[in-house]
Amino acid sequence: MKIYETSVRKPISTILIFLGVIVFGIYSVRTLSVDMYPEMDMPAITVLTTYTGANAADIETNISRILEDNLNTVDNLKKITSKSSDNISVVSLEFEWGSDLDAASNDIRDVIGRVETLLPDDAERPTIFKFSSSMVPVMVLYATATTSYDALYKILDDRLVNTLNRVPGVGAVSMMGANEREIQVNVDPKIMEGYNLTVEQIGQIISSENLDLPGGNLDIGTQTLNIRAKGEFESANDLRNIVVANRNGSQIYLPEVAEIKDTLKKTTIDERVNSKLGVRIIVQKQSGANSVSIAKDVGKMLPIIQKQLPPDIEIGTIVDLSESIQDSISSLTETIMFAFLFVAIVVLFFLGRWRATVIIVITIPVSLIVSFIYLKISGSTLNIISLSSLSIAIGMVVDDAIVVLENITKHIERGSSPKEAAIYATNEVWLAVIATTLVVIAVFMPLTMLTGMAGIMFRELGWIISLVTLVSTIAAITLTPMLSSMMLRFQKTKSYKGLGILFRPIDKFLDALDNAYANSLNWVIKHRSLVIILAVGIFAGSIVIFKQVPSEFFPKTDDGRINAAVKLDLGASVDYSMNTARLIDSIMLNKYPEISVVSTSTGAADGSNTFAAMQGNTGSHIINYTLRVPTKPARDRSIFEIGDSLRADFSRIPEVVDYTVTTGGSGPGGTEADIVVKVFGQDMIEADRVANIIKDAVSTIPGAVDVNLSRDDLRREFRINFDRKKLGYHGLTTAQVAMAVRNRINGLTASKFREDGDEYDIVVRYAEPFRTSVEEVENILIYNAMGQPLRVKDVASINEEYAPPTIERENRERVVGVNITLSGAALSTVVGEINEKLANIDIPEGLNVVIGGSYEDQQESFQDMITLLILIIILVYIVMATQFESFAMPFIILFSLPFAFSGVFIALWLSNTSLSIIALIGAIMLVGIVVKNGIVMVDFINLLRERGLGLGQAVVNAGRSRLRPVLMTTMTTILGMVPMAIGFGEGAEMWQPMGIAVIGGLAFSSVLTLYVIPVVYTIFGTRSLKKVRRKNERNFS
Amino acid sequence: MKAVLIVYNQALTDVMMDILDKQSLRGFTQWDITKGRGSENGEPHYGNHTWPSKNIATLVITEEKRVEPLLTKLRELNSQTEEQGTRAFVWSIEGGM
Repeated sequence: MKIYETSVRKPISTILIFLGVIVFGIYSVRTLSVDMYPEMDMPAITVLTTYTGANAADIETNISRILEDNLNTVDNLKKITSKSSDNISVVSLEFEWGSDLDAASNDIRDVIGRVETLLPDDAERPTIFKFSSSMVPVMVLYATATTSYDALYKILDDRLVNTLNRVPGVGAVSMMGANEREIQVNVDPKIMEGYNLTVEQIGQIISSENLDLPGGNLDIGTQTLNIRAKGEFESANDLRNIVVANRNGSQIYLPEVAEIKDTLKKTTIDERVNSKLGVRIIVQKQSGANSVSIAKDVGKMLPIIQKQLPPDIEIGTIVDLSESIQDSISSLTETIMFAFLFVAIVVLFFLGRWRATVIIVITIPVSLIVSFIYLKISGSTLNIISLSSLSIAIGMVVDDAIVVLENITKHIERGSSPKEAAIYATNEVWLAVIATTLVVIAVFMPLTMLTGMAGIMFRELGWIISLVTLVSTIAAITLTPMLSSMMLRFQKTKSYKGLGILFRPIDKFLDALDNAYANSLNWVIKHRSLVIILAVGIFAGSIVIFKQVPSEFFPKTDDGRINAAVKLDLGASVDYSMNTARLIDSIMLNKYPEISVVSTSTGAADGSNTFAAMQGNTGSHIINYTLRVPTKPARDRSIFEIGDSLRADFSRIPEVVDYTVTTGGSGPGGTEADIVVKVFGQDMIEADRVANIIKDAVSTIPGAVDVNLSRDDLRREFRINFDRKKLGYHGLTTAQVAMAVRNRINGLTASKFREDGDEYDIVVRYAEPFRTSVEEVENILIYNAMGQPLRVKDVASINEEYAPPTIERENRERVVGVNITLSGAALSTVVGEINEKLANIDIPEGLNVVIGGSYEDQQESFQDMITLLILIIILVYIVMATQFESFAMPFIILFSLPFAFSGVFIALWLSNTSLSIIALIGAIMLVGIVVKNGIVMVDFINLLRERGLGLGQAVVNAGRSRLRPVLMTTMTTILGMVPMAIGFGEGAEMWQPMGIAVIGGLAFSSVLTLYVIPVVYTIFGTRSLKKVRRKNERNFS
Repeated sequence: MKAVLIVYNQALTDVMMDILDKQSLRGFTQWDITKGRGSENGEPHYGNHTWPSKNIATLVITEEKRVEPLLTKLRELNSQTEEQGTRAFVWSIEGGM
């Protein structure tokens, strides 16, 4: 027994099997995590090394270059970039997509182990960071305080961070901007000199005083007791009793040479929320955890935590990733519901029968639900890609069921009982149904092989649509016949009883449509050359239009996120920058009603804060903003409009030198600027000059905003230049002197002060008044091995010089990038103009200019897509050629493809949409849908010809009979896409181009293919007829 | 004794069995998938892509008096499902074992 016969004969088993699938599907949906994008392992690993006190150039030569040179041998490495700035080196390794990152990180660890000895002693051990989407903060909270600000770190650490860490799924909670306690021993160099004391000695003494040591056991009588030396400080005041020296019989206490302060570390970063002093709390999730449930749990805990905090501390949310996820997911769910409704209406419109419509529509949930099981098994999430795939698939899953049902109805009308009709009618069409499904799978399976960014986006889409179509076919040959045998009734003529009265005009209209089409087809096949000329003309015209359609990578989406970085004059201190920050804060809070939270961070966190180091651009002259605006429907202006307005405001502030406003994300993971013009070259001054020329030229291009250099201008600094001869004479080394300077200015961490389980640094350094001029440094006193005192100026000279604040390298070559953000202009248009400008700029020898950024990814992905398209067309050709057992027939069908693309171009052009990778995917999907229509047409013409009809008659009759199925499948797909093309709700901009492309392409191509395929068929047919006749003549004459 | 060869669309299998049972015609020989086409009109039954429908041939050997009631039933069925093209042919049996 064949599968369809079994299912009709055993309806209970059939229903229960599908019910089982549905139950498992529902279970999967309920347990699936919700996320924005599929889990992606960005094939990138970052090696972070801190070397406190070193400037960018030192970091470059001593750390970045050594690491780069050695890490270059790691397998599968695609690109190695580094950024050396003050205190920190960030070496980023980008791997080929799909490489084994665990193996790579092991390799990296080996390399680091090998080169560790080559790195400066004071540099910390390099740490390896593997990026994944779970590193993106799920939530960013804030806490503002007034009177308790000084204790904020401790309070939040105890009550907030520890509590949140216990929320299931939370990976890490870190605080930014809170000042840590520090015990400062600020020495007075003059007094120290008087007593012949050095900073190092003081440090040594403090460290040996702050000590707990077990002294062993004492046996007293019958008992054994421990003995312990207890010297550890119990309060900072204990430091006051330390004797640092004995001079002339009297003891000198530490307070005599130094000021002891139990205070906060000097701020290098100023964190404000809505202008109030505060901190940011970053919540990251564990890999694979559910962002939405974490955010919910955290949201529930906040009011409880708030109650335990001092009344002046206020906590709130700056960024909540789950909000935009939930909004996107619910708007997509709405899209799916609308698509479902539209498809049901189309089916009802064409079939005119309630029962038949129910049978067809039931295949939709049955097939779609399988995708949830797939997601569950593959460990994926309910995300915008998987849900969008479903809304794409809705219009396609009913096609097979329609074909099967149509044939069953035909058999019933001829007098078979529904049960037998169901079996035998399915028997007649099941192979054809499987063949068309193979075409769809031939289109979507290759998508699963995509790599790179496009791979993340479309691998899941490829799997889901292939799987869902496959299941829909299985349902069409089992569930549909089974339900038909149970639900359909014999009706000789359609009755228009009750509500059925509605269908009378519809049926009349459809009959008239059939006739009109048959008549026009009759005319058309008699005027073949005219049709061909017209068709070629239309295609050529669409190519011209295509040239007008600009291209971009991913459509920009309004995800309610705005970030801004404002740069002031280089070298501006944090205190100075803060003033401007307050001005900007007030502008944002007063002028922009949409902005509810303004989180401002001025300056840079110190080297120990790795999260801050990953954040990229920080510095005492840089103010970073994170703004909170409500999600889309709750505000009038889009984030892009707000962004443009912010830019205008920034440009009016005289202190602001440069600014970047980042609005929304362009696809997942994208961090680089839209376009980066990279200037490679060792000579930094020359490279800077050229980069500045390019910057000025590019700034004039409309749509190119926030044009700035990735490297700041050279910064003033003091350099100690040693005289090695003198050093040698005095028996000193560079290291000794450099270390001495470092201990006095930067400070020497002598020991740790322990209290309540927390540790705080005890730092010895020169008191602040002695750290304000070059002379103080020159006068630093050092003792050589013989105990002779020397000043720094005796062995070195201090000069003012200029140094770059950051040095970036890509593939072991220095690079300066001109970053360009786009606003209201398409990528390809701006790149075209940049190329024009570059042609006029004289690039000196030794420098090399390359355009990168998103543009680079776009080019790569577009190339992949074109290759994929060719591959898909070949696959589809193979499937069709085997089905028809003919080389020529597939060509007839493929003739309709160019018009599908014409339709895409015209639709994009009319709707003023750029050709993005999303629109391209739409075009690729069209191949499957259009070819399916073609197969339906050509297959039936073939059938009629074999049944003995003449060529012309076969074409016209086939056209008349296949018009409805073609219109029906086309309409279901088009209407299924309409909600997507209209694009309502959060993140809808993402998929809009796909909806537009598919609707345009399909509408246009269906109209054309309804005429072009029959015409091409008659051309091929006449030729093959003549051939057969000639052959017969030759054989028998 | 008469032989009745009934040729009908396989979609009528259950109906045909029902008729034979109701006529108490126990014995028959059946060729499951047969091809054929009508002399005047009606679709051919080839079981291929072009003409997908298939026929079944059932040979019933029975007493003469039971032939007519069977043919009446078959005519009745054919009048309801004319497009299926059910046919029956009767001839005499000379002997057997």
